Amino acid sequence: MNLASFAARNVLRNRFRTVLTVLGVAVAVVAFLLLRTVVYAWTMAADFAAKDRVVTRHKVTFIMTLPKRYVDDVRTAPGIKVVTFANWFGGKDPKHDTEFFSAVAVDTKSFFQVYDEMRVADADLERWQTDRSGAIVGDVLAKKLGWHVGDKVTLESGIYPDDPQNPWTFTIDGIYTAMAKSVDRSTFVFHWDRLNDRIATRGQNEVGWIVSRVDDPRHVAETSLALDRLFDDREVQTLSQDEGAFNASFLAGFSAVLRAIDVVSLVILVIMTLILGNTVAMGVRERTNEYGVLRAIGFFPRHIAAFVLGEAVVTGCVGGVLGIVLAYPLIERGMGRWLEENMGVMFPYFRIETSMVAVALGASVVLAGAAAAIPAWRASRLRVTDALRRVA
Amino acid sequence: MTAPMINLRQVSKSYDRGGETLKVLQALDFEVASGSFEALMGPSGSGKSTLLNLIAGLDRPTAGTIEVAGTRIDTLGEGALAKWRANTLGFIFQAYNLIPVLTAVENVELPLLLAPVASRERRRRAETALRVVGLEDRSLHYPRQLSGGQEQRVAIARAIVNDPTLLVADEPTGDLDRASADDVLRLLETLNKELKKTIIMVTHDPVAAERATVVRRLDKGSLA
Ligand SMILES: Nc1ncnc2c1ncn2[C@@H]1O[C@H](COP(=O)(O)OP(=O)(O)O)[C@@H](O)[C@H]1O
Ligand SMILES: [Mg+2]
Repeated sequence: MNLASFAARNVLRNRFRTVLTVLGVAVAVVAFLLLRTVVYAWTMAADFAAKDRVVTRHKVTFIMTLPKRYVDDVRTAPGIKVVTFANWFGGKDPKHDTEFFSAVAVDTKSFFQVYDEMRVADADLERWQTDRSGAIVGDVLAKKLGWHVGDKVTLESGIYPDDPQNPWTFTIDGIYTAMAKSVDRSTFVFHWDRLNDRIATRGQNEVGWIVSRVDDPRHVAETSLALDRLFDDREVQTLSQDEGAFNASFLAGFSAVLRAIDVVSLVILVIMTLILGNTVAMGVRERTNEYGVLRAIGFFPRHIAAFVLGEAVVTGCVGGVLGIVLAYPLIERGMGRWLEENMGVMFPYFRIETSMVAVALGASVVLAGAAAAIPAWRASRLRVTDALRRVA
Repeated sequence: MTAPMINLRQVSKSYDRGGETLKVLQALDFEVASGSFEALMGPSGSGKSTLLNLIAGLDRPTAGTIEVAGTRIDTLGEGALAKWRANTLGFIFQAYNLIPVLTAVENVELPLLLAPVASRERRRRAETALRVVGLEDRSLHYPRQLSGGQEQRVAIARAIVNDPTLLVADEPTGDLDRASADDVLRLLETLNKELKKTIIMVTHDPVAAERATVVRRLDKGSLA
């Protein structure tokens, strides 16, 4: 036995109460993390919505294409910074029949300028831009299918004819990583020119959609309207939408709710502190006589204070860890997955923010210490004779 | 003649009780020789526990000087006093006051946690002390698994494990039946005779007082 194990014995002294307190802290931590995750997820959605990208497509349906010369019209329109365009390729790797991913033919010069949250090493990007059979793939996709830079892969397109004499074989020139959590990390991009050259003359020089970035994200709505007006009298009309325009307006109405959730998450921490404080105070009252005995034996006031504080901190810490352990499956596996799949616009990424785990654990430890501070101080200040006269 | 183990000079102790001052001890002179076994008797409320607490350094006098085992304890700081208690003194309570979550041997070991003693050595000394009180076969029992007499003997083992020069006992047999009380008294006698511990014991029990070498009476704050 040593001082620490003696203190530890006391933690489990009133097992029922300790277990209840630990559960109380754990539930508080789960609730705290849940609320913080809601705020985090919404803020992330708002961040995505704040993007300065406009997608222009065929007014009727995105299956129909636009003339490629529209790209130049968009590029010279006022308020537009950079423009890129792409065609859907579909595609799958016949070796991995059940893995679905987006394969897209893109403009190599501008694609990664417009989607600058997708990062490729400069050297890989340059190599890809001059390699007509090259492709850049997302890190998640590469990992899943075991692809590495330099590998040759052959895809089948569900849309464009497969020619055994001229298969869709690509060299993986690079792997992109995501700088934002909104990015699909399983996309396969390759040269638009290569696709265009394979298409029969009648369908050539058509693009699936045009994506542009505007100078000022605040004017993204007006710019979108202006773009569509540009093509009103042309052979094909367009529909331009800023990415997640819906999100932005939707979230704006929720800012008061977010603030309320902020407050409630703090209230939960206060409640947790009160639970801990109550447990500590009850323990100290019951054991006052014992503290007197320890002091009579020669223990210092600081020993008594350390016992009280240590007990509270251990209880808070165990409760905090338990709460975190419970929160992950509950929030990320259960609710998170469901929300992401069914309410992806509001909750594109419903995951616990790692820093909030540290905050939750830190809070349960620090607040436990705070809750115990006054009882610990009082217990250590007790006059030995008074403590001894106190009958439990 | 050697210096007395306990030497109180002109010691007064009063308590504040809602504005009123309750004078418990007044200008008391009190000496206990080294190696003696003294019983302190007197009616309830006469200040016996108060006196014992002053001797044990658990409380401070309102006036006067207290020297115990060669140290002026009335002027010691809180920390120095705690250290002095740990090294010099063993306290035996009427209510045993064992820690319920610790086994007998762990209760005995408790005071050693404050000393720079290796863990194995602590356990060895605690077991030795338990053997002295005749409870080596109960070392892994918890207090609730022991009889009152056994609990008090464990408490005595705890009081002697640090090898103190002075044992202070406040009605150590007050909660015990005759047979258990006699066991405890015999044990105290042995500690006094064989291990040369100076003992001062408060008691109401004339039989207990008989075991002591000196019997004193305290009445209304003064020694008779
Ligand atoms: N901490 C205290 N505060 C106030 N009064 C006290 C305190 N301790 C003892 N007393 C009073 O002092 C008197 C002597 O008490 P005590 O020394 O316990 O007597 P005894 O042990 O001889 O029965 C009693 O009247 C008691 O109520
Ligand atoms: Mg008394």
